Amino acid sequence: MSAPTSNCPNCGAPVTFRWSSAIQTTCEFCHSILIRTDLDLKKVGEVADLPADASPIQIGTEGVLDNKGFVVIGRIIYEYEQGGWNEWHIVFNDNSNAWLSDAELEYDVSWLAPQHQIPVIGRGSECILANRAYTVTSITKAHYKGVQGELPFEYWDKSDVAFADLRTPTGEFATIDYSEKTPLLFLGRSVEFDDLHFKNLRRFEGWTS
Amino acid sequence: MSTTLVSQSLVKAKSLSCPNCGTPIELRGFAHTLSAVCPSCLSILDASNPELQILQTYQGKERIEPKIPLGSRGTFNGTVYELIGFEQRSVQTPDDYFSWDEYLLFNPYKGFRYISEYCGHWNVIRVQSRVPYPTTARGRRGWVLDARKFAAFDAMQAATSYVIGEFPWQVRLGETAACEDFIAPPYMLSSETTAGETTWSLGEYWEGSKIWQAFRLPGKPPSPQGIFANQVSPYAGKTGAAWRMWLWFNVALFTLMTIFNLTKANKEVFHDEYSYAYFKNHDTSFVTPAFQLDGVNKNVEVRFHADIRNDWIYLSMALINDETGQTFDFAREVSYYVDSDGSEGSRDNRVVIPSVPAGRYYLRIEPEMVTGALSTRYEISVRRDVPIYSYFWIAAALLLIPPIVTWFRSNQFEARRWRESDYRPVDSPVMKIAGGIIESLGDD
Amino acid sequence: MNNPLFLLYGVLLLGATGYLEYTGKSFDRINQQRVLPKSIRDNPGAYRSTYGGYSRYIGGK
Repeated sequence: MSAPTSNCPNCGAPVTFRWSSAIQTTCEFCHSILIRTDLDLKKVGEVADLPADASPIQIGTEGVLDNKGFVVIGRIIYEYEQGGWNEWHIVFNDNSNAWLSDAELEYDVSWLAPQHQIPVIGRGSECILANRAYTVTSITKAHYKGVQGELPFEYWDKSDVAFADLRTPTGEFATIDYSEKTPLLFLGRSVEFDDLHFKNLRRFEGWTS
Repeated sequence: MSTTLVSQSLVKAKSLSCPNCGTPIELRGFAHTLSAVCPSCLSILDASNPELQILQTYQGKERIEPKIPLGSRGTFNGTVYELIGFEQRSVQTPDDYFSWDEYLLFNPYKGFRYISEYCGHWNVIRVQSRVPYPTTARGRRGWVLDARKFAAFDAMQAATSYVIGEFPWQVRLGETAACEDFIAPPYMLSSETTAGETTWSLGEYWEGSKIWQAFRLPGKPPSPQGIFANQVSPYAGKTGAAWRMWLWFNVALFTLMTIFNLTKANKEVFHDEYSYAYFKNHDTSFVTPAFQLDGVNKNVEVRFHADIRNDWIYLSMALINDETGQTFDFAREVSYYVDSDGSEGSRDNRVVIPSVPAGRYYLRIEPEMVTGALSTRYEISVRRDVPIYSYFWIAAALLLIPPIVTWFRSNQFEARRWRESDYRPVDSPVMKIAGGIIESLGDD
Repeated sequence: MNNPLFLLYGVLLLGATGYLEYTGKSFDRINQQRVLPKSIRDNPGAYRSTYGGYSRYIGGK
């Protein structure tokens, strides 16, 4: 797969896109947030130093899901009252993309569900999505802490965003992102670390992966 | 794929000093740790803040030593975890106070696990992202997870009463949570609710020795006291297996009975009718004609029937070998009474003589009835090589003992388990009486 | 094997039952394997059985 290369409009460093459909990325060197236009890259902002986080996943981590290989190409970091979590943007070898969420080392994978009727919900309420009964497990007011790498949309400097997590007894997972005017629905499932067959994870002193 | 963006840096544990007493603290949970307890002054510090602000100082007097030292590493399901936190939780009710210990395990890739210990009973616990499915169990709200039905066992307000180590949440002494436990031994499904948010955890009962093995700890784990909520019954599966074995034994017994039925000759060798009439001072004894008994040392059945009503007849008999003179002495009574309430006794009786050698035999019979009895008709028949069914009935009855004992002991174990529950079941009358007997036996 | 004791118990029980049945043993009260003279056949009254006389009969069928 050819990796189109451009130059960062801010510092001139080479910027590589691993994914053809990426809309936004960050410059590795100057941490500028860059939007891809028809002609070139445009700087729209800067990422402050990302908060120290302990996710074992990093940009470039590879894995396997549903017999398809994927690579981690970007992330959004969220923080809320009780902690924080990472939404890792992953791209499969068939060029499709998904989100791998790492919340205190509990992993979920979800895909954007197009054109879904978003139900009205409250904590503990139940609803039917894609022919399955989900229970709302949490409604979180979080704030965006930073972005890194390639994302499929423009996303930066958000203030508070609300998320609702929904789950089933068999491990299906859904999340509703209320950050846009039209809430976005993502459908997926919880996954075990071992089942993802990770490679290129971060290393922790005193630990082997 | 380009790997230029892959970071090769090693994540190191942060080392800080306690703002209260200056003791160095190393955060073993990396950036997950949100609160850390100073090992020296036991102050709770805010680890999310680089200045380690003091959240709470320790006012208590005692230091509690965790049974597993902090920093120990243990292997669970093939993964190594490090013990980074210890929390003692307690419940205070109007008439009771009890506490249990929770140990926090950490692996930077696989996440967090918990170990709980209460009176020598251990559970390895994992927080669940799944939600269980509601159901009814033992007449109450229960839950289904992984096709297992969990029954409500207890509910309580648990308070954090002691902490040491690190935690991925803001811990506070005195903080309470509403906890509910549901059991499906060896599993326990627990819910913990704080400020409207419920977290589910699934625990599996582990024996202390298994925990000690996982951590490779020296010495012995504390001995378990009593029976714990999700402790596995030593009779688990044994009752069903016992009844299955009982069934097979009954099949074998029935087969045995059928074989004997078919292989025994059961041949009638003599049958005659007599009439008894009393004559004063007259000897009533007489002998029967001789008959042949074949087969080597088989048994002989002598049957008698008397047409009596509200009367009795006493027959004293001897089976005598015509050639050798060998004699078998026996006597039986036949009595039969009928009134408006029903009948008592029987008009028939029989005797089985074991191991009678083959040969020609005759019977000497001496009947006796109440003086002055009218003429009474009676029959005597002799059969050679008869099956004795009573042995099979006795064996069948005795076969019932082991499965019933197993069933009973299993029920007893479960009764002891549920005696600890907030939702004690109502014993059936049988179990109440039986339980009372068992308890009184144990009171010696 | 969940219940080895039960297996042993059942095998012994069935074995005992088979043995008792095979040898034709009974637990009825039989007494006195005596040898009597042939003359009893002709004179049954001369024989005195241990069970003779209901007045001496103590009980049990």
